[in-house]
Parts: sequence; structure tokens; C-alpha cells
Amino acid sequence: MPELPELNPVIHGKLRLALLSLLAGVEEAEFTWLRGKTGSTDGNLGAQLLKLEEAGYVAMEKRFVMRKPQTVYRITEVGRQALTEYVQALKQLLGAAIES
Amino acid sequence: MAERITDTELAERLGLIESMIAEGRRTTEHWSWTFVLWGVAYLVAIAWSAWGPSPVFAWPVTMVAASIATALLMSRDREKTPETTLGRALGSIWIALAVTMFVVFAALGFSGRIGDVHVFVSIACGLLGLANAASSMMLRWKVQFAAAVGWWTASVLGCFGSANQSLVVFVAAVFLCQIVFGIYGMMCEARERKQRGTVHA
Repeated sequence: MPELPELNPVIHGKLRLALLSLLAGVEEAEFTWLRGKTGSTDGNLGAQLLKLEEAGYVAMEKRFVMRKPQTVYRITEVGRQALTEYVQALKQLLGAAIES
Repeated sequence: MAERITDTELAERLGLIESMIAEGRRTTEHWSWTFVLWGVAYLVAIAWSAWGPSPVFAWPVTMVAASIATALLMSRDREKTPETTLGRALGSIWIALAVTMFVVFAALGFSGRIGDVHVFVSIACGLLGLANAASSMMLRWKVQFAAAVGWWTASVLGCFGSANQSLVVFVAAVFLCQIVFGIYGMMCEARERKQRGTVHA
């Protein structure tokens, strides 16, 4: 029996997975946009984004646009690679489940 | 870890990834209101040039006012949307169209060679068909391609008949391919917003 792949625990959290997937489809996104798309609270969203940032999967930038502070996030190459590997692992697990 | 996860959960995770990636892309497509705004602007310009005072200012004033309104509304909207390559590509088509129309019609106007309504209708409809076709191919949106075909048809029909008939063709194309298409797009966006769910940790 082939060995089943491990799922990356950093990405596996539902909100973190949603955030990384959202950022995979855009170049960069504001904190408020991510909050609107996920329907999450500020605290929870900030905590999950911090975990992704600590893992090197997203990069955060603070800037001022028309004198208003703006926090912008973007997926890193490491994050994109990790998401790709996570999707492949998911598919492999689902394939194994179908075969058994 | 893998043993503890059910197949339903795994499939749910895959579905979540697909829907979230699509969500990011879809955001850049929320431009339908601009079609309605510009459709109304064209009709205002036509009505002003036909029945209003100082008809020579009708097109320049209306077009500049519509450009300012679009820029203002888009700058507000941009704060809430992420930047994507697709969004930038789509934006570049419409900006290029606006600049081309402004340059060509201004040159024709100042040189006094825009007297023939047929030429104006044919060029304007042809350019609008081009932009809609390019956008529809990027978005793979058949309804927008139908709008492009409508513009191209108007571009051909606008060459024939009397000046008034040519203008009627233009007004009909603006109504169908700009205003009705824009309203349809806004309705699609509203429906998508309703279907959007929330995700928690």
C-alpha cells in the first residue's frame, strides 16, 4: 500500500486555507478585503494571517494611501508552492480513498 | 493526521480552494456599472447635440464629465478590491479605447472632417466592438461577445441609409449593447454576492 501524504498543518486550518487561496488569485489584497471575503473577525483574521506570515507563506506591507493606513498582503513563492503541494496531497488522499 | 480526516472534509477543502481562487478573480469583473454610466452618457450627448444649446460642446463636455465620474467612482472602488493581472489587462483595454476615441474624434472634429454621421457611427461602433470582443475573450464571457457582435453589426449598418437612420442604429446599439448589457452584468454580480458564504477558522 502506498504511503499517504501528510497535510501541511499550517495551511489545513479552514480560514488559513481560504486566505491563501484568495491571495493565490490576486496580486495583493487589503486586510479589509480579506475580512469581507471570509466574513471573519479582525482578531481571528489577524491571528491567522500572522501564522501564515510566520511560516513565510504571505508577506505583509503597511503603507499610507491618501493619508489612510493600509495593510496589504500578498502570497509568497513559498506560500504558492505550499498551496500547490497541499492541493496535490489532497487529491492523492482523495484518490487513495476512492481506490480503497 | 490524514487518518482523522474524512473524504467529505477533503473534498470540502478542495471546493474551498477553488471557490476562493475564483472569488479573487471575480472581484476584478465588477465593472458593469461603467457600461450603464457610459451608455447613458452617449444618449445624453446625442440628445444634447440634437436638441440642446451649443451642440458643438455636447460630445466633449459629456465625455469629459463621464470620464471624471468613472475615475472618481473607480478610485473609491479600488480601495476595496485587490490588484490582479487580469484586472490590469481589462483596464488597459478600456483606457486604450477611451484614449483612441478621444484622439480620433477630436482630430476629426478639429479638422472639420467629422461632418458625416455615418463615419462617426461606424468608427465608434467598430471600436466598441473591438474592446468588448477583447474583454469577452479574456473573461470567456459569451454575453459580452454577443454585445461585441451587436456593436460590429451597428458599425456595418451605420454606413448605410440616411444620417438619421445611422443615428437610430447607434442609439439602438448603445441601448442594447451598453445599457442592457451593463444592467445584465450588474444583476449577475448581485446574484454572485448573494451566493457568497463566510469562512471561519
